[in-house]
Amino acid sequence: MQATQPTFFKQGPKPLTRVLIFSTLSVALIIGDAYFQLLGRVREQISIVLYPLQWLATAPTNAVIEASAFLQKQSHLIAENRQLNDAKLIAQAQEMRLKALEAENAQLRALKLANERNPRQSQLTQILYNGRDPFGAKLIVDLGQRSGVSAGQIALDASGVVGQVIRVQPMTSEVRLISDREHMVPVLVERNQLRTVVYGTGRQNPLEVRNMAPNVDIKPGDILLTSGIDGIYPAGLPVARVSKVERAAGNAFARIQCKPLAQIDQHRFLLLLNAPEPLPAYPLTTPAPKPKGH
Amino acid sequence: MPISRQMLRPVGGGFIFFSFIIALLINLLPWQISSINFAPDFVALLIVYWTLNQPRRFGIASSFVLGVLMDVADGNVLGQHALAYTVIAYLALSRQRQLAVFPFWQQALVALALLFLSQAIMLGIRMSMGASFIGWGYFAGTLLAAFLWPPLSNLMIMYQRKDVPDEL
Repeated sequence: MQATQPTFFKQGPKPLTRVLIFSTLSVALIIGDAYFQLLGRVREQISIVLYPLQWLATAPTNAVIEASAFLQKQSHLIAENRQLNDAKLIAQAQEMRLKALEAENAQLRALKLANERNPRQSQLTQILYNGRDPFGAKLIVDLGQRSGVSAGQIALDASGVVGQVIRVQPMTSEVRLISDREHMVPVLVERNQLRTVVYGTGRQNPLEVRNMAPNVDIKPGDILLTSGIDGIYPAGLPVARVSKVERAAGNAFARIQCKPLAQIDQHRFLLLLNAPEPLPAYPLTTPAPKPKGH
Repeated sequence: MPISRQMLRPVGGGFIFFSFIIALLINLLPWQISSINFAPDFVALLIVYWTLNQPRRFGIASSFVLGVLMDVADGNVLGQHALAYTVIAYLALSRQRQLAVFPFWQQALVALALLFLSQAIMLGIRMSMGASFIGWGYFAGTLLAAFLWPPLSNLMIMYQRKDVPDEL
Protein backbone atom coordinates (compact mmCIF):
# COMPACT_ATOMS: atom_id res chain seq x y z
CA MET A 1 0.00 0.00 0.00
CA GLN A 2 2.54 2.50 1.16
CA ALA A 3 4.80 1.89 -1.82
CA THR A 4 2.08 2.61 -4.40
CA GLN A 5 1.05 5.90 -2.85
CA PRO A 6 2.16 9.08 -4.55
CA THR A 7 4.87 10.92 -2.63
CA PHE A 8 2.42 13.68 -1.74
CA PHE A 9 0.56 11.38 0.63
CA LYS A 10 3.62 9.94 2.27
CA GLN A 11 3.85 10.93 5.90
CA GLY A 12 6.74 8.85 7.15
CA PRO A 13 6.11 5.94 9.48
CA LYS A 14 2.57 5.18 10.62
CA PRO A 15 1.28 6.77 13.82
CA LEU A 16 1.29 3.42 15.61
CA THR A 17 4.95 2.86 14.75
CA ARG A 18 5.78 6.35 15.90
CA VAL A 19 3.94 6.09 19.17
CA LEU A 20 5.71 2.80 19.85
CA ILE A 21 9.10 4.37 19.13
CA PHE A 22 8.51 7.42 21.28
CA SER A 23 6.84 5.67 24.17
CA THR A 24 9.72 3.18 24.26
CA LEU A 25 12.07 6.16 24.32
CA SER A 26 10.09 7.71 27.17
CA VAL A 27 10.14 4.53 29.18
CA ALA A 28 13.87 4.28 28.55
CA LEU A 29 14.24 7.83 29.86
CA ILE A 30 12.19 7.01 32.95
CA ILE A 31 14.28 3.94 33.69
CA GLY A 32 17.48 5.80 32.93
CA ASP A 33 16.44 8.56 35.28
CA ALA A 34 15.51 6.15 38.03
CA TYR A 35 18.77 4.24 37.88
CA PHE A 36 21.39 6.68 36.61
CA GLN A 37 19.98 10.09 37.57
CA LEU A 38 19.80 11.05 33.92
CA LEU A 39 17.64 14.08 34.62
CA GLY A 40 20.40 15.99 36.37
CA ARG A 41 22.68 15.72 33.37
CA VAL A 42 19.99 16.55 30.82
CA ARG A 43 18.80 19.47 32.91
CA GLU A 44 22.22 21.04 32.87
CA GLN A 45 21.96 21.26 29.09
CA ILE A 46 18.31 22.19 28.65
CA SER A 47 17.75 24.41 31.66
CA ILE A 48 19.85 27.15 30.06
CA VAL A 49 17.31 27.20 27.22
CA LEU A 50 14.40 27.29 29.66
CA TYR A 51 15.90 29.90 31.97
CA PRO A 52 14.62 32.94 30.01
CA LEU A 53 11.11 31.45 30.06
CA GLN A 54 11.34 30.78 33.78
CA TRP A 55 12.63 34.26 34.40
CA LEU A 56 9.85 35.77 32.27
CA ALA A 57 7.20 33.72 34.08
CA THR A 58 8.32 34.98 37.48
CA ALA A 59 9.03 38.56 36.39
CA PRO A 60 5.47 39.98 36.85
CA THR A 61 5.11 38.74 40.44
CA ASN A 62 8.58 39.96 41.30
CA ALA A 63 7.75 43.36 39.82
CA VAL A 64 4.57 43.57 41.92
CA ILE A 65 6.43 42.62 45.07
CA GLU A 66 9.13 45.18 44.40
CA ALA A 67 6.59 47.88 43.61
CA SER A 68 4.69 47.25 46.83
CA ALA A 69 7.96 47.33 48.76
CA PHE A 70 8.78 50.67 47.14
CA LEU A 71 5.40 52.13 48.01
CA GLN A 72 5.53 51.12 51.67
CA LYS A 73 4.63 53.85 54.11
CA GLN A 74 7.35 55.66 55.93
CA SER A 75 5.70 55.09 59.29
CA HIS A 76 5.93 51.37 58.57
CA LEU A 77 9.59 51.69 57.85
CA ILE A 78 10.27 53.73 60.98
CA ALA A 79 8.42 51.21 63.14
CA GLU A 80 10.27 48.36 61.50
CA ASN A 81 13.59 50.17 61.92
CA ARG A 82 12.95 50.64 65.63
CA GLN A 83 11.98 47.01 65.99
CA LEU A 84 15.10 45.88 64.17
CA ASN A 85 17.26 48.10 66.35
CA ASP A 86 15.77 46.50 69.44
CA ALA A 87 16.33 43.06 67.96
CA LYS A 88 19.91 44.01 67.17
CA LEU A 89 20.56 45.08 70.76
CA ILE A 90 19.19 41.82 72.05
CA ALA A 91 21.20 39.91 69.47
CA GLN A 92 24.38 41.77 70.45
CA ALA A 93 23.83 40.94 74.08
CA GLN A 94 23.31 37.32 73.14
CA GLU A 95 26.36 37.40 70.91
CA MET A 96 28.53 38.53 73.77
CA ARG A 97 27.29 35.63 75.82
CA LEU A 98 27.77 33.36 72.85
CA LYS A 99 31.36 34.48 72.40
CA ALA A 100 32.12 33.69 75.99
CA LEU A 101 30.47 30.30 75.57
CA GLU A 102 32.34 29.67 72.33
CA ALA A 103 35.65 30.44 73.96
CA GLU A 104 34.79 28.15 76.81
CA ASN A 105 33.64 25.48 74.42
CA ALA A 106 36.84 25.76 72.37
CA GLN A 107 38.86 25.37 75.51
CA LEU A 108 36.89 22.32 76.55
CA ARG A 109 37.24 20.80 73.11
CA ALA A 110 40.97 21.48 73.15
CA LEU A 111 41.14 19.78 76.48
CA LYS A 112 39.32 16.77 75.09
CA LEU A 113 41.52 16.84 71.96
CA ALA A 114 38.44 17.01 69.80
CA ASN A 115 38.64 18.78 66.49
CA GLU A 116 36.87 22.08 66.64
CA ARG A 117 34.28 22.93 64.12
CA ASN A 118 34.39 26.38 62.55
CA PRO A 119 31.14 28.10 61.78
CA ARG A 120 30.38 27.56 58.13
CA GLN A 121 30.20 30.25 55.50
CA SER A 122 26.80 31.00 54.06
CA GLN A 123 25.15 32.68 51.09
CA LEU A 124 21.89 34.60 50.91
CA THR A 125 19.58 33.46 48.14
CA GLN A 126 16.18 34.45 46.83
CA ILE A 127 13.32 32.01 46.21
CA LEU A 128 12.30 32.10 42.55
CA TYR A 129 9.22 29.90 42.70
CA ASN A 130 7.71 26.76 44.15
CA GLY A 131 8.50 23.50 42.47
CA ARG A 132 5.55 22.62 40.23
CA ASP A 133 5.71 18.92 40.90
CA PRO A 134 2.77 18.14 43.22
CA PHE A 135 4.43 14.91 44.37
CA GLY A 136 7.27 16.63 46.18
CA ALA A 137 7.91 19.76 48.22
CA LYS A 138 10.58 21.77 46.48
CA LEU A 139 11.64 25.37 45.99
CA ILE A 140 13.71 26.85 43.20
CA VAL A 141 16.23 29.48 44.31
CA ASP A 142 18.25 31.94 42.27
CA LEU A 143 21.79 30.79 43.06
CA GLY A 144 23.37 27.99 41.07
CA GLN A 145 26.62 26.40 40.09
CA ARG A 146 28.03 29.75 38.99
CA SER A 147 27.71 31.06 42.54
CA GLY A 148 29.39 27.99 43.95
CA VAL A 149 26.29 26.25 45.23
CA SER A 150 26.58 22.49 45.42
CA ALA A 151 24.16 19.70 46.16
CA GLY A 152 23.98 18.84 49.85
CA GLN A 153 24.04 22.39 51.18
CA ILE A 154 21.54 23.27 53.90
CA ALA A 155 18.92 25.99 53.49
CA LEU A 156 17.90 27.98 56.57
CA ASP A 157 15.68 30.87 57.42
CA ALA A 158 15.79 33.00 60.55
CA SER A 159 14.00 30.45 62.69
CA GLY A 160 15.22 27.05 61.53
CA VAL A 161 16.10 24.51 58.90
CA VAL A 162 14.13 24.84 55.65
CA GLY A 163 15.63 22.08 53.56
CA GLN A 164 18.54 20.88 51.54
CA VAL A 165 19.87 21.66 48.07
CA ILE A 166 19.41 18.53 46.01
CA ARG A 167 20.06 19.58 42.44
CA VAL A 168 22.13 22.38 41.01
CA GLN A 169 21.85 24.02 37.61
CA PRO A 170 24.11 26.75 36.29
CA MET A 171 21.89 29.62 37.45
CA THR A 172 19.29 28.07 39.74
CA SER A 173 19.12 25.25 42.22
CA GLU A 174 16.47 23.12 43.80
CA VAL A 175 15.86 22.99 47.54
CA ARG A 176 13.95 20.03 48.93
CA LEU A 177 11.91 21.15 51.93
CA ILE A 178 11.99 19.19 55.17
CA SER A 179 8.29 18.47 54.62
CA ASP A 180 9.02 16.49 51.43
CA ARG A 181 8.03 12.84 51.65
CA GLU A 182 11.53 11.68 50.86
CA HIS A 183 13.29 13.94 53.29
CA MET A 184 14.50 13.09 56.75
CA VAL A 185 16.62 14.99 59.26
CA PRO A 186 18.59 13.45 62.13
CA VAL A 187 17.58 15.37 65.22
CA LEU A 188 17.78 15.29 68.96
CA VAL A 189 15.21 16.41 71.47
CA GLU A 190 16.48 19.58 73.12
CA ARG A 191 15.07 18.72 76.54
CA ASN A 192 16.60 15.29 77.05
CA GLN A 193 19.07 14.88 74.16
CA LEU A 194 17.21 11.87 72.79
CA ARG A 195 18.46 11.07 69.29
CA THR A 196 15.95 10.34 66.56
CA VAL A 197 15.03 11.12 62.98
CA VAL A 198 12.21 13.36 61.76
CA TYR A 199 10.48 12.47 58.47
CA GLY A 200 8.63 14.69 56.03
CA THR A 201 5.15 13.54 55.04
CA GLY A 202 4.15 15.93 52.26
CA ARG A 203 3.99 19.64 51.75
CA GLN A 204 0.96 20.58 53.81
CA ASN A 205 1.31 17.81 56.37
CA PRO A 206 3.06 17.83 59.72
CA LEU A 207 6.48 16.22 60.12
CA GLU A 208 6.63 12.87 61.87
CA VAL A 209 8.96 11.10 64.24
CA ARG A 210 8.60 7.41 63.51
CA ASN A 211 9.52 4.14 65.13
CA MET A 212 9.57 5.40 68.70
CA ALA A 213 8.20 3.21 71.47
CA PRO A 214 4.86 4.33 72.97
CA ASN A 215 6.51 5.22 76.26
CA VAL A 216 9.18 7.43 74.69
CA ASP A 217 9.97 10.64 76.56
CA ILE A 218 8.74 13.18 74.01
CA LYS A 219 6.08 15.71 74.92
CA PRO A 220 4.15 18.25 72.89
CA GLY A 221 6.15 21.49 72.90
CA ASP A 222 9.56 19.81 72.77
CA ILE A 223 12.02 21.38 70.35
CA LEU A 224 13.93 19.15 67.93
CA LEU A 225 17.45 20.28 66.98
CA THR A 226 19.71 18.82 64.34
CA SER A 227 22.04 16.32 65.92
CA GLY A 228 24.89 16.69 63.43
CA ILE A 229 25.33 12.95 63.31
CA ASP A 230 25.01 12.52 59.55
CA GLY A 231 27.70 15.10 58.90
CA ILE A 232 25.40 16.99 56.54
CA TYR A 233 23.40 19.06 58.98
CA PRO A 234 25.56 20.96 61.45
CA ALA A 235 24.54 20.29 65.04
CA GLY A 236 22.18 22.52 66.98
CA LEU A 237 19.94 24.04 64.29
CA PRO A 238 16.29 24.18 65.30
CA VAL A 239 14.11 21.97 63.09
CA ALA A 240 10.65 21.44 64.53
CA ARG A 241 8.42 21.66 67.57
CA VAL A 242 6.45 18.59 68.64
CA SER A 243 2.77 19.40 68.23
CA LYS A 244 0.99 16.18 69.05
CA VAL A 245 1.89 12.83 70.61
CA GLU A 246 -0.53 9.92 70.30
CA ARG A 247 0.14 6.84 72.34
CA ALA A 248 -2.57 4.47 71.17
CA ALA A 249 -2.62 1.18 73.05
CA GLY A 250 -2.94 -0.89 69.89
CA ASN A 251 0.10 0.51 68.08
CA ALA A 252 3.66 -0.65 68.43
CA PHE A 253 4.91 2.90 68.00
CA ALA A 254 3.88 6.29 69.24
CA ARG A 255 2.55 8.72 66.65
CA ILE A 256 4.50 11.93 67.03
CA GLN A 257 3.68 14.92 64.86
CA CYS A 258 5.80 18.05 64.64
CA LYS A 259 5.51 21.47 63.10
CA PRO A 260 8.54 22.91 61.30
CA LEU A 261 10.00 25.89 63.15
CA ALA A 262 11.12 27.55 59.93
CA GLN A 263 8.33 29.25 58.07
CA ILE A 264 8.90 27.13 55.02
CA ASP A 265 6.03 28.58 52.99
CA GLN A 266 6.46 32.23 53.77
CA HIS A 267 9.77 33.89 53.05
CA ARG A 268 11.46 35.10 49.93
CA PHE A 269 15.03 34.76 51.15
CA LEU A 270 16.95 31.79 52.42
CA LEU A 271 20.45 31.23 53.71
CA LEU A 272 22.50 28.44 52.13
CA LEU A 273 25.17 27.01 54.42
CA ASN A 274 28.33 25.91 52.68
CA ALA A 275 29.04 22.23 52.26
CA PRO A 276 30.42 20.39 55.27
CA GLU A 277 33.91 18.99 55.54
CA PRO A 278 33.80 15.26 54.83
CA LEU A 279 33.61 13.05 57.87
CA PRO A 280 36.25 10.40 58.44
CA ALA A 281 35.45 7.27 56.43
CA TYR A 282 33.03 4.82 57.92
CA PRO A 283 34.97 1.80 59.19
CA LEU A 284 33.89 -0.92 56.80
CA THR A 285 36.80 -3.32 57.02
CA THR A 286 36.93 -4.03 60.74
CA PRO A 287 33.47 -4.18 62.25
CA ALA A 288 33.30 -4.27 66.00
CA PRO A 289 32.82 -7.76 67.41
CA LYS A 290 29.17 -8.38 68.20
CA PRO A 291 28.35 -8.59 71.86
CA LYS A 292 27.11 -11.97 72.89
CA GLY A 293 23.53 -12.61 73.78
CA HIS A 294 22.10 -10.47 70.97
CA MET B 1 -12.01 22.67 13.57
CA PRO B 2 -15.74 22.22 13.20
CA ILE B 3 -17.15 22.64 9.74
CA SER B 4 -17.95 26.25 9.10
CA ARG B 5 -18.45 28.57 6.21
CA GLN B 6 -15.54 30.68 7.19
CA MET B 7 -12.44 30.89 5.13
CA LEU B 8 -9.37 30.04 7.14
CA ARG B 9 -5.86 31.19 6.54
CA PRO B 10 -3.23 28.44 6.59
CA VAL B 11 -1.29 28.10 9.82
CA GLY B 12 2.44 28.69 9.78
CA GLY B 13 4.88 26.61 11.77
CA GLY B 14 5.95 29.81 13.46
CA PHE B 15 2.49 30.32 14.91
CA ILE B 16 2.42 26.81 16.36
CA PHE B 17 5.88 27.34 17.83
CA PHE B 18 4.86 30.67 19.31
CA SER B 19 1.70 29.18 20.83
CA PHE B 20 3.80 26.56 22.61
CA ILE B 21 6.20 29.19 23.92
CA ILE B 22 3.20 30.93 25.49
CA ALA B 23 1.84 27.65 26.84
CA LEU B 24 5.20 26.74 28.42
CA LEU B 25 5.34 30.23 29.89
CA ILE B 26 1.90 29.80 31.48
CA ASN B 27 2.85 26.37 32.76
CA LEU B 28 5.96 27.81 34.38
CA LEU B 29 4.06 30.58 36.17
CA PRO B 30 4.61 30.41 39.91
CA TRP B 31 1.43 29.12 41.54
CA GLN B 32 0.40 29.21 45.13
CA ILE B 33 0.87 25.82 46.70
CA SER B 34 -2.80 25.60 47.63
CA SER B 35 -3.90 26.20 44.04
CA ILE B 36 -1.25 24.26 42.12
CA ASN B 37 -3.68 21.42 41.49
CA PHE B 38 -6.05 23.77 39.71
CA ALA B 39 -3.42 24.87 37.22
CA PRO B 40 -4.47 23.45 33.83
CA ASP B 41 -1.74 21.88 31.75
CA PHE B 42 -1.79 24.25 28.79
CA VAL B 43 0.93 22.40 26.92
CA ALA B 44 -1.15 19.20 26.94
CA LEU B 45 -4.22 21.17 25.89
CA LEU B 46 -2.38 22.69 22.94
CA ILE B 47 -0.95 19.31 22.00
CA VAL B 48 -4.50 17.98 21.66
CA TYR B 49 -5.56 21.12 19.80
CA TRP B 50 -2.78 21.08 17.22
CA THR B 51 -2.91 17.32 16.73
CA LEU B 52 -6.59 17.61 15.91
CA ASN B 53 -6.26 20.66 13.69
CA GLN B 54 -2.84 20.34 12.07
CA PRO B 55 -2.03 16.62 12.08
CA ARG B 56 0.50 16.99 9.26
CA ARG B 57 2.49 19.68 10.99
CA PHE B 58 2.23 18.58 14.57
CA GLY B 59 2.30 15.07 15.90
CA ILE B 60 3.83 12.48 18.13
CA ALA B 61 7.49 13.46 17.74
CA SER B 62 6.84 17.10 18.63
CA SER B 63 4.75 16.02 21.61
CA PHE B 64 7.64 13.90 22.83
CA VAL B 65 10.05 16.84 22.62
CA LEU B 66 7.62 19.09 24.49
CA GLY B 67 7.20 16.40 27.12
CA VAL B 68 10.95 16.27 27.71
CA LEU B 69 10.99 20.06 28.02
CA MET B 70 8.21 19.95 30.60
CA ASP B 71 10.04 17.25 32.53
CA VAL B 72 13.15 19.38 32.66
CA ALA B 73 11.19 22.48 33.63
CA ASP B 74 9.29 20.68 36.36
CA GLY B 75 12.26 18.83 37.73
CA ASN B 76 10.49 15.55 38.28
CA VAL B 77 11.07 12.17 36.70
CA LEU B 78 12.53 12.50 33.21
CA GLY B 79 10.21 10.90 30.65
CA GLN B 80 7.01 11.23 32.66
CA HIS B 81 5.47 14.05 30.63
CA ALA B 82 7.10 12.69 27.49
CA LEU B 83 5.28 9.37 27.77
CA ALA B 84 1.95 10.96 28.69
CA TYR B 85 2.10 13.49 25.85
CA THR B 86 3.17 10.87 23.32
CA VAL B 87 0.22 8.66 24.21
CA ILE B 88 -2.41 11.40 24.10
CA ALA B 89 -1.04 12.74 20.82
CA TYR B 90 -1.34 9.25 19.33
CA LEU B 91 -4.89 8.77 20.58
CA ALA B 92 -5.94 12.16 19.24
CA LEU B 93 -4.24 11.41 15.93
CA SER B 94 -5.83 7.99 15.51
CA ARG B 95 -9.33 9.51 15.53
CA GLN B 96 -8.33 12.88 14.13
CA ARG B 97 -10.60 12.87 11.04
CA GLN B 98 -13.61 12.17 13.19
CA LEU B 99 -12.81 14.44 16.09
CA ALA B 100 -11.74 17.42 14.03
CA VAL B 101 -15.27 18.08 12.80
CA PHE B 102 -16.96 17.82 16.18
CA PRO B 103 -18.38 20.98 17.71
CA PHE B 104 -16.21 22.57 20.35
CA TRP B 105 -18.15 21.29 23.36
CA GLN B 106 -17.76 17.70 22.19
CA GLN B 107 -14.09 18.27 21.54
CA ALA B 108 -13.90 19.61 25.10
CA LEU B 109 -15.14 16.23 26.36
CA VAL B 110 -12.48 14.46 24.30
CA ALA B 111 -9.83 16.84 25.64
CA LEU B 112 -11.06 16.13 29.16
CA ALA B 113 -10.66 12.40 28.64
CA LEU B 114 -7.21 12.77 27.05
CA LEU B 115 -5.87 15.14 29.71
CA PHE B 116 -7.26 12.91 32.43
CA LEU B 117 -5.45 10.01 30.82
CA SER B 118 -2.19 11.95 30.64
CA GLN B 119 -2.39 12.76 34.36
CA ALA B 120 -3.32 9.18 35.14
CA ILE B 121 -0.22 8.01 33.25
CA MET B 122 1.97 10.42 35.20
CA LEU B 123 0.35 9.35 38.46
CA GLY B 124 0.94 5.71 37.51
CA ILE B 125 4.60 6.37 36.77
CA ARG B 126 5.14 8.19 40.05
CA MET B 127 3.28 5.58 42.07
CA SER B 128 5.25 2.79 40.41
CA MET B 129 8.39 4.63 41.55
CA GLY B 130 7.24 4.67 45.14
CA ALA B 131 5.25 7.87 45.54
CA SER B 132 1.99 7.60 47.43
CA PHE B 133 -1.37 8.70 46.03
CA ILE B 134 -1.71 12.46 46.39
CA GLY B 135 -5.48 12.80 46.29
CA TRP B 136 -8.11 13.42 43.64
CA GLY B 137 -7.40 17.12 43.75
CA TYR B 138 -4.56 16.32 41.36
CA PHE B 139 -7.11 15.99 38.55
CA ALA B 140 -8.86 19.32 39.22
CA GLY B 141 -6.75 21.14 36.64
CA THR B 142 -7.97 18.75 33.95
CA LEU B 143 -11.57 19.73 34.56
CA LEU B 144 -10.67 23.39 34.35
CA ALA B 145 -8.73 22.74 31.14
CA ALA B 146 -11.81 21.13 29.57
CA PHE B 147 -13.86 24.23 30.37
CA LEU B 148 -11.14 26.32 28.77
CA TRP B 149 -11.24 24.32 25.54
CA PRO B 150 -14.04 26.23 23.70
CA PRO B 151 -12.63 29.71 24.46
CA LEU B 152 -9.13 28.51 23.64
CA SER B 153 -10.22 27.02 20.33
CA ASN B 154 -12.06 30.22 19.43
CA LEU B 155 -9.00 32.23 20.32
CA MET B 156 -6.69 30.09 18.23
CA ILE B 157 -9.01 30.09 15.24
CA MET B 158 -9.43 33.85 15.43
CA TYR B 159 -5.94 34.22 14.07
CA GLN B 160 -6.83 32.09 11.06
CA ARG B 161 -10.11 33.79 10.22
CA LYS B 162 -10.19 36.20 7.38
CA ASP B 163 -12.95 38.24 5.87
CA VAL B 164 -14.96 36.55 3.17
CA PRO B 165 -14.55 38.56 -0.03
CA ASP B 166 -17.75 40.15 -1.25
CA GLU B 167 -17.69 38.62 -4.72
CA LEU B 168 -18.00 35.07 -3.35
